[in-house]
Amino acid sequence: MSQAVIGQRHEIPDLHYLNNGHTIASWLLTKDHKRIAVLYLISVSFMFFVGGLAAALVRLELTSPHGQLFTSEQYNKLFSAHGIVMVFFFIIPAVPAVLGNFALPIMIGAKDLAFPRLNLLSWYLYVVGALIVLTSFILGGVDAGWTFYTPLSSIYSNTQISLCLVGLFLAGFSSIFTGVNFIATVHKMRAPGMTWFKLPHFVWANYATSLIIVLGTPVVAITLVLVILERTLKFGIFSPELGGDPVLFQHMFWFYSHPAVYIMILPAMGVISELVSCFSRRRLFGYEMVAFSTVAIAAIGFLVWGHHMFFSSQSVLQGIIFSLLTLIVAVPSAIKTFNWVLTMYKGSVVFTTPMIYVLGFIGLFLVGGLTGPYLGAVACDVHLTGTYFVVAHFHFIMVGGAIMGFLGGLHFWWPKMFGRMYSEFWGRLSALVVFIGFNFTFFPQFILGYLGMPRRYHYYYFAPEWQIYNILSSAGASVLAIGYLMPVFYLTASLIKGKPAGPNPWGATGLEWNKTSSPPDTHNFHEKIVVTEPPYNYDAISDNRDYRKMWGGEPLEWEKETV
Amino acid sequence: MAEAHAEEHHGHHVTSNRVLNTTFLQLFAAMVITILAARAPIDGPALFPGFKDFFLKWEYAWGATNAIALGIAAFKAVQVIRFFMGVQYASGLIKLYAVMGFVGFTWLYILFWDYVGRPWEPVRGWETVPGTALPRDPDSDAGVPYKLYPGKEEGASAEMSHE
Amino acid sequence: MAAHGAAIDPNEPVVYEQYETIEQQQETYLVGMWSFLVTEVMMFGALFLVYSLYRWKFRGEFFMFHEELSWQWGGLNTMNLLFSSFLMAKAVQATQLKRAKAQMWYLAGTIVCAFIFLIIKAIEWIPKFEHHLVPTASFHWPPHEPHGSGGGSPEHAKIFYSLYFTMTGLHGLHVVIGIIAITILMVMTKLKAKAITDYIPTEMVGLYWHFVDLVWIFLYPLFYLIPR
Repeated sequence: MSQAVIGQRHEIPDLHYLNNGHTIASWLLTKDHKRIAVLYLISVSFMFFVGGLAAALVRLELTSPHGQLFTSEQYNKLFSAHGIVMVFFFIIPAVPAVLGNFALPIMIGAKDLAFPRLNLLSWYLYVVGALIVLTSFILGGVDAGWTFYTPLSSIYSNTQISLCLVGLFLAGFSSIFTGVNFIATVHKMRAPGMTWFKLPHFVWANYATSLIIVLGTPVVAITLVLVILERTLKFGIFSPELGGDPVLFQHMFWFYSHPAVYIMILPAMGVISELVSCFSRRRLFGYEMVAFSTVAIAAIGFLVWGHHMFFSSQSVLQGIIFSLLTLIVAVPSAIKTFNWVLTMYKGSVVFTTPMIYVLGFIGLFLVGGLTGPYLGAVACDVHLTGTYFVVAHFHFIMVGGAIMGFLGGLHFWWPKMFGRMYSEFWGRLSALVVFIGFNFTFFPQFILGYLGMPRRYHYYYFAPEWQIYNILSSAGASVLAIGYLMPVFYLTASLIKGKPAGPNPWGATGLEWNKTSSPPDTHNFHEKIVVTEPPYNYDAISDNRDYRKMWGGEPLEWEKETV
Repeated sequence: MAEAHAEEHHGHHVTSNRVLNTTFLQLFAAMVITILAARAPIDGPALFPGFKDFFLKWEYAWGATNAIALGIAAFKAVQVIRFFMGVQYASGLIKLYAVMGFVGFTWLYILFWDYVGRPWEPVRGWETVPGTALPRDPDSDAGVPYKLYPGKEEGASAEMSHE
Repeated sequence: MAAHGAAIDPNEPVVYEQYETIEQQQETYLVGMWSFLVTEVMMFGALFLVYSLYRWKFRGEFFMFHEELSWQWGGLNTMNLLFSSFLMAKAVQATQLKRAKAQMWYLAGTIVCAFIFLIIKAIEWIPKFEHHLVPTASFHWPPHEPHGSGGGSPEHAKIFYSLYFTMTGLHGLHVVIGIIAITILMVMTKLKAKAITDYIPTEMVGLYWHFVDLVWIFLYPLFYLIPR
């Protein structure tokens, strides 16, 4: 274990991947996985704020029970835009394409991903897909929701659905190519000695995610093509008037889109495993079980899609089967949560910015996860489906889980990506604001759902008693928005003013911290990597105590100098 | 097959001519059998008078040709994957990924539980006897659950019709 | 992209900088290609699923719909694709044995077969446009001059032809992509492009082409040979 020296002044290395070439072409034609990660970071953040804007307008509209701001059509287009952008262009690519692209090759000791050009191609597909979808919004919007249920999307709606679906198709191939790249990389590019059970959990999670992407995404891609054919050429595969089955669309859509939930949450869980171990200064409890649970979630995730369809005309038999299978997924998820908690137990937890995100993640994931069984049990779901209870549930998983994981990971690897520390004060503050704002936004929605408010309604004059919860939620959303905007400022400021972080500011284990500089060299490593240590070998770090002292109560080392 | 003729060349396997030729002939023969099996019940009666009686007596023969055609197609696919695509001589990892797509494909068929189960709890269009299913739409007179609360009917529908 | 070693031997394959050995590089490319084929299997698999559902639901009628398709042309195309697949396998073998001339001839033969496939496809498709059997708004069933009984419900016939045109259309698109890929491969091999230093590019195009063949192996009995 290379010793990180505490209190030493660090310098940014002279040559690293960021300043190795300054032209625009050197960025747009780069084959370096780290630069592509930065490109993804910029484009994904842009899409996040586009989706966030739509969400803000949705919340603004709901403060009044009479629907005064927008017409029904405009409101439909707004929540559709929010869903489409956030799901397909933010959460799905966020962790794998930004953090995974950056960290995964370094974590396994590879010089790059297996197919660098394919990696660049997938970024371009993402950008072109995003532009097409944004164009479709500008040309008139999409009003069928992010789920595009037929026959609304195929026959009745006369908005820009076809164009939007073309964009989603390209984005789908973007993630397929990322998945192919990760699979080949994890299988074949590991450094000598990096066996499967020495892999960091972030790598496990990205590998499992890639399997889901490769198996699931093509199904939804071809389903969307069928909808395009039905709209433009009047083909009739899901058309009920021809004797076709519109519910078949839902089956095929959710065959991908339920595993897509695990595409969103699994990489975030991988991030959490990294962080919780590092900031508890303890080996991850039950390494093998966490790895197995990752694979189990990926596998079982393909067997539960029917729980989205209890209220469609799916047969009761199928409903019961899917209900049982759904409850099984809770087991591996719980294994992960217990292991994170047991890692913290008797560890010396230090409340750095990433760790606050981790704690937020575990709490919110717990609430989001435990409301899952309510929706997974048929009898209960019949009453709750289509209400704000569902909205709150999946926002607790997707926003409270995936985005907290993404932000935690971003704060964790930020010093490695750009070589400079952000302001720890503002970091902690924003993590707290996000957590508080999140709970204010989405907890009232559980109550709203319990009281029976249907999702996707833009007025509720027939039940004015719902207004207080809607106002609470909208007020919380503005707090949340502030929490999400803060990192934009202090992270950008850190690029210029931040103190050089040094190779290993957190005293973490792992190749990316111990074998390369911050920011890393273009070829990642200067030496040949041979892995001998077990993963998360925090017990072997001799200066653990110094790190505890550094993080415990006192202002952090780098903070003293910036303040 | 002729594994004995496999030769090693620069670390990777070169499939021998004999294996390729045999595979191609197998594929060709299999295709001819498929066509014969599928067309026999249709064209057969015209060619051989005895065929018609045989197929009329044993009605499963019609379905059997289905299974035969698909079975042969599967055999052809396996031969292509093994010898033309070289999976027979490839590493275990390649074999894993060669199989994975087909395993994932069978997972899709779980949704047949839906369509198998629908006649049990009749749904329009999927009931065993057409027209016997209860409509699920609540405004219909046949909707049983709404009859349980007769008092609520007018109020509920008036309240929920917006604008 | 710099070679791993100091001097570049034109007869030895180049190891790209992210790899350690040529074996690792070749195997990685194959794993990547196979995991992409997993994607392709799932993409066609979803369509096969839709097909099997509707065939099961309309099992009596699909026979009558399929009578408008010519099993003779389809059979010819199957033979043609099987032969092209065989030629492709020979091309890969020739590349591995460094027989450049034979490789080119086999690849050219594959392209010829691919074009024959498309021509036969066109012979099948074009009359369907005239007979209003393409499932657009002008779809009409029964056809004016039916080859078979012309029975069955017009709505279900439209579903059958939607499936037929979607699945053979997507397959045809793959054939076109295959032609483009093989052409690029031939040009780059001829020009001795830097990207082609070993048999792997040919092998990958070959895997893709065999996959196209595989899909047709199932499409043929499912559309052209439906039992009564």
